[in-house]
Amino acid sequence: MTAAGVVGVLVQVALVVGGAPLLVGLMRQVRAVLEGRAGAGIGQPWRDLRKLMKKEAIRPEGTSWVFTSGPLVLFASTLVIAAVAPFVSTASPLDGVADLFAVVSLLLLGTVALTLAGLDTGTAFGGMGASREVTIAALAEPTILLAGFALSARVGSSNLADIVAGTLATPAQVLSPATLLAAVAFAVVVIAEAGRLPVDNPATHLELTMIHEAMILEYAGRDLAVVELASAMRLAVLLGLSVNLFVPWGVATSSAPLALLGATAVFALKVGLLGAVLAAFEVFIAKWRLFRVPELLAGSFLFGLLAVSASFFLA
Amino acid sequence: MSDVVFVQMLDLVCGGLLLSGVLMLWRRELAAIVRLLIVQGVLLAALAVLLGVREQSVELYLVAAGVLVLKAVVLPGVLHRVLRDSGDAREAEPLVNVTSSLLAAALLTLVAYAVSRPLVALAPSATTRALPVGLAVVFLGFFVLVTRRHALSQVVGFLLLDNGIAATAFLATSGVPLVVELGGSLDLLLLVLVLQVLAARMRLTFGRTDMDELRELRD
Amino acid sequence: MNPISVGLVVVAAAALVGAAAGALAPARTRPLVTGTATAVVGLGGVLVGVAALGGQTWSLTVAHLLPLAETTLAVDALSGAFLLLIGAVAIAAGVYGIGYTSPGGAHATDEDDAAPGHDGVGAHDDASGPATAAASRTAQAVLPLFAAAMLLVPAAASVSTLLVLWELMALTSLVLVLAEHRLRRSVRDAGLWYAGMTHAGLVAIMLGLVVLAAGAGGESFAAMRAGSAGLSPATASCVFVLIFLGFGSKAGMVPLHVWLPRAHPEAPSHVSALMSAAMVTLGLYGIIRVGFDLLGGGTRWWWLLVLAVGSVSALYGVLQASVAADLKRLLAYSTTENVGLMLMGVGAAGVFAAEGNRVLAGLLLAAAVLHAVNHAAFKALLFFGAGSVLRSTGLRDLDRLGGLASRMPVTTALFAVGALGAAGLPAGNGFVSEWLLLQGLIHSVTGAMAPSVVVAISMPLAVAVVALTAGLGVATFVKAFGVGFLARPRSAAATGATESPLSMRAGMGLAAAACTALALAPSIAGAPLSRLLSVLPSVRDGAPLAGSDVSLRLAGIAGSMSPLLIVVGLLVAGLGAAALVRRVTHGAPRRATPVWGGGSTRLSPRMEYTATSFAEPLIRVFDDVLRPEQDIDVTPFAESEFLIESISYRQRVPDRVEARLYPPLLAAARRWGQWSRGIANGSVHRYLAYGFIGLLVVLVIVGITS
Repeated sequence: MTAAGVVGVLVQVALVVGGAPLLVGLMRQVRAVLEGRAGAGIGQPWRDLRKLMKKEAIRPEGTSWVFTSGPLVLFASTLVIAAVAPFVSTASPLDGVADLFAVVSLLLLGTVALTLAGLDTGTAFGGMGASREVTIAALAEPTILLAGFALSARVGSSNLADIVAGTLATPAQVLSPATLLAAVAFAVVVIAEAGRLPVDNPATHLELTMIHEAMILEYAGRDLAVVELASAMRLAVLLGLSVNLFVPWGVATSSAPLALLGATAVFALKVGLLGAVLAAFEVFIAKWRLFRVPELLAGSFLFGLLAVSASFFLA
Repeated sequence: MSDVVFVQMLDLVCGGLLLSGVLMLWRRELAAIVRLLIVQGVLLAALAVLLGVREQSVELYLVAAGVLVLKAVVLPGVLHRVLRDSGDAREAEPLVNVTSSLLAAALLTLVAYAVSRPLVALAPSATTRALPVGLAVVFLGFFVLVTRRHALSQVVGFLLLDNGIAATAFLATSGVPLVVELGGSLDLLLLVLVLQVLAARMRLTFGRTDMDELRELRD
Repeated sequence: MNPISVGLVVVAAAALVGAAAGALAPARTRPLVTGTATAVVGLGGVLVGVAALGGQTWSLTVAHLLPLAETTLAVDALSGAFLLLIGAVAIAAGVYGIGYTSPGGAHATDEDDAAPGHDGVGAHDDASGPATAAASRTAQAVLPLFAAAMLLVPAAASVSTLLVLWELMALTSLVLVLAEHRLRRSVRDAGLWYAGMTHAGLVAIMLGLVVLAAGAGGESFAAMRAGSAGLSPATASCVFVLIFLGFGSKAGMVPLHVWLPRAHPEAPSHVSALMSAAMVTLGLYGIIRVGFDLLGGGTRWWWLLVLAVGSVSALYGVLQASVAADLKRLLAYSTTENVGLMLMGVGAAGVFAAEGNRVLAGLLLAAAVLHAVNHAAFKALLFFGAGSVLRSTGLRDLDRLGGLASRMPVTTALFAVGALGAAGLPAGNGFVSEWLLLQGLIHSVTGAMAPSVVVAISMPLAVAVVALTAGLGVATFVKAFGVGFLARPRSAAATGATESPLSMRAGMGLAAAACTALALAPSIAGAPLSRLLSVLPSVRDGAPLAGSDVSLRLAGIAGSMSPLLIVVGLLVAGLGAAALVRRVTHGAPRRATPVWGGGSTRLSPRMEYTATSFAEPLIRVFDDVLRPEQDIDVTPFAESEFLIESISYRQRVPDRVEARLYPPLLAAARRWGQWSRGIANGSVHRYLAYGFIGLLVVLVIVGITS
């Protein structure tokens, strides 16, 4: 637990917290440009957050501590992931805790917190969003864990830092069938978990098409600000994980300040690029019906299974 | 009594027991069957006397007297009364016809001989060599129980069974203790009396005493 | 004085005294007496378990207690683990039962049927009659006996002792299941199924153990252990399959699980907790004891069978749980799911042990046993919570509950702890054992030995099953907690709910404390698990868990995780964020507003999402497996058929395994019974003939063969 290590963790946390709304803004801007609009600028999400903080928070009748603590649990779980995952450096002091399965479960914890908050409101929309969200999360679990299996099998450990270090050590492995298949599976899972098209439309205003938005309909003011920030962080964390697990070059392997600085810049660049690609992809597709999503997840499950089999048989 | 005479008398008595048992399968008149029971009772008593002479045991004489009284006098008397009250004179067609019954009797006798070989081998003597006869009478008694319809025939079969058991006991162990014989006899008497009542009831309900009528009781 | 013998004496004495006192005490003090007796029985069990896991062993042989055989008892680390588990659950159940069986509170009856699908009148508060059904003299007096029987089963060390104690356990539990038979018809049905299946299981166990004892030349476990090497592979396999079926039916594996969702909901809640949390683990104990210890590890295909059956049980159980609307039925199916996970761990451990990979075998077996312990903690807590709700509202139907967070705050909070553990989320105790299980499964591909084809195919599938089970488990408990406790009450009975008495809260608190301890400091189980593994020959030398108080480290393979640090991180982040937000907004309070109802009408509780609607997407996705039945009744107005007056919708998800597998078997048994009635056709001659022919046959056989 060196001072440089602690600084590294803080830098990472600050990067994710500060940069996540910028990432969302970037993605919206890319989308706007491609659709021929002027767009609101990259900093708009931060301006929205500031505006929301000034507004009044409400507490609907009949809700309980679950409703008021939901946003905080979501934020806390995403923040813990941001702190432990090897985004900037693989030599962080929280190395021993950075287990892939633990990170996946923390993401699930965040989902559950918001789902319970949605049920607590007692509205039909809250319940609907909760039930859909939980179905998708349940069906995405096998894919995530199989992709994790494929990645861990390569290195012999499910520790995130070990996986990143393993890929850095043997670059040729990135092009192995197991890794490529796992990358495809992971991409689908990221889309499902982050609530992007074609699984869920983050910009929809039609309640019957909402999944994530339906659960947070009753939030206002600071609660909504925390939820928006946490959702943005969740997207950033998921993109960051997919980037660093599969394309880890640029990650600092020591705690030297220069290396950390460089790694921060490279990480921001990679995530921004991936976000832009994702936004561009979203322009060309529409949201799918809810009952086609299991087919998508089944397909990604197949890819995950193939990835694991490849790592067994082609190792 | 010398051995030769003893053996001859023994064989005579046992042969008589077996013959009377087979004749009970042959005759169809119920009165004749009851008379055959009297004959069997006498023969059984004779067997007990014979063994008593051989063993020089007073107890066996007492047992023979008891057997004579019960099996040759009392029980046939009760059965006679039942017969008088029932009104049937003949056994109805048995479940297995007479020819087959006799063949079955022969078979059962052979089985009795085969089965009692290990028993005889335990203590070979003139008395025990006659053991198969007792067992054969037991089997004949069972057979009568299984194949005769009339309630009275059921009683006869049961009595035949008991005669066979008594004969086997006498031959195997040279007599049974008086106490055992007394107990067995009392049981027997009670049973016959109960069956008498049953026969009377059946006659009241069905008009005849065909045991197959009891099938109507089944659900 | 050996602490084990002291503990066992405490168990036996407390049970007998408790039973006698329960039978004789007046109704006013009976709950306290029997509850305390059960708790003392549990305490004895815990004492024995701790001593055994600390390295002590003990054995005892008593002749002439049972006819034809000696009574042999022996305690080692494997039995100690299960004794500790059962004892702890018994303590909590005893304390909880004091309040549960006290008068007052509503109890479900046939008129206001608690189960879904009926239009209930609502709970009625009754200080006499139905409300005290769970408090009947028999039910309360038998409770300490049941706990003691469960505690003595792992201590049995010979076939006859085990069978006698197993049957005693089955009979006492049957009496307890039938405790409320006067209130509801379904209780008798449940009792019948339970009695039939537990005795079928007993027959299977008896056959298997008798064959093993005959082949090994001795009845005691020591003799069987020594002599099992001489069994032919066919005999050993036959023994294992019989044992697996018998013990597995007690554990509740598919397809022998059908008694679980019937019996556990109908029993009084503290009995349900004992049965679900403690009794099913005895099935697991039996499989481990016979498979790993007495048969010495066995061949690989046995354990593949266990793995396969475990996978099916886990998936089927969680799927049925996720669509169940009856709270206790949901918890019963969740038990099937967790037993499936435990069996998967045991099966995978056996596969690796048969291949010689002791490190992984030890890890997976430790994961399975740890999951049994965790499951006991959270399942007991969840059943206690369900019992609290049942006693307070008279309802088990999630579709009619809700709004309990403000009316029963302590129960809600404690149920949340249990649900967190059951869902396998971080900060819950289920997470630790599922993580261990996954670590064992994923490390199969690395390591010194190249994986065999069997392992290469089965491990990814096993991981997929565990993952889907975990995901659906989250859905299930979000539904159970969210729909049952949050939002606004959906019926009058739920509106009238009040918090439970102190003893019930204390019992729940004990279970919650166990959950939290296991969640935050799982490395306390490290040394006991190593000692447990050292008892079993084929997985010895594995010391699976090591590590400090803070984090969990796997010995022999790379892997570590610290639940405590995760929770600390969550708390720091959450509280820090809350403080920051409050500073930024200058502590402005939240305004209480009505819920948004589309701008015009106010929302009624009937518009809330119910458990059935929550599970609807899952039912649609898994339609082929679940085959729900739907009834829609449209009632138009008399004047015009185009104007609808009312629509009635009813949905039922039957247990498809039961519906497809059992009716043909039962019909065949019935046909056989009808045919055999023909044997007794009423003819006296025929009956006499049976006797005569039987006598002849016996004599001929004896005559010929001698």
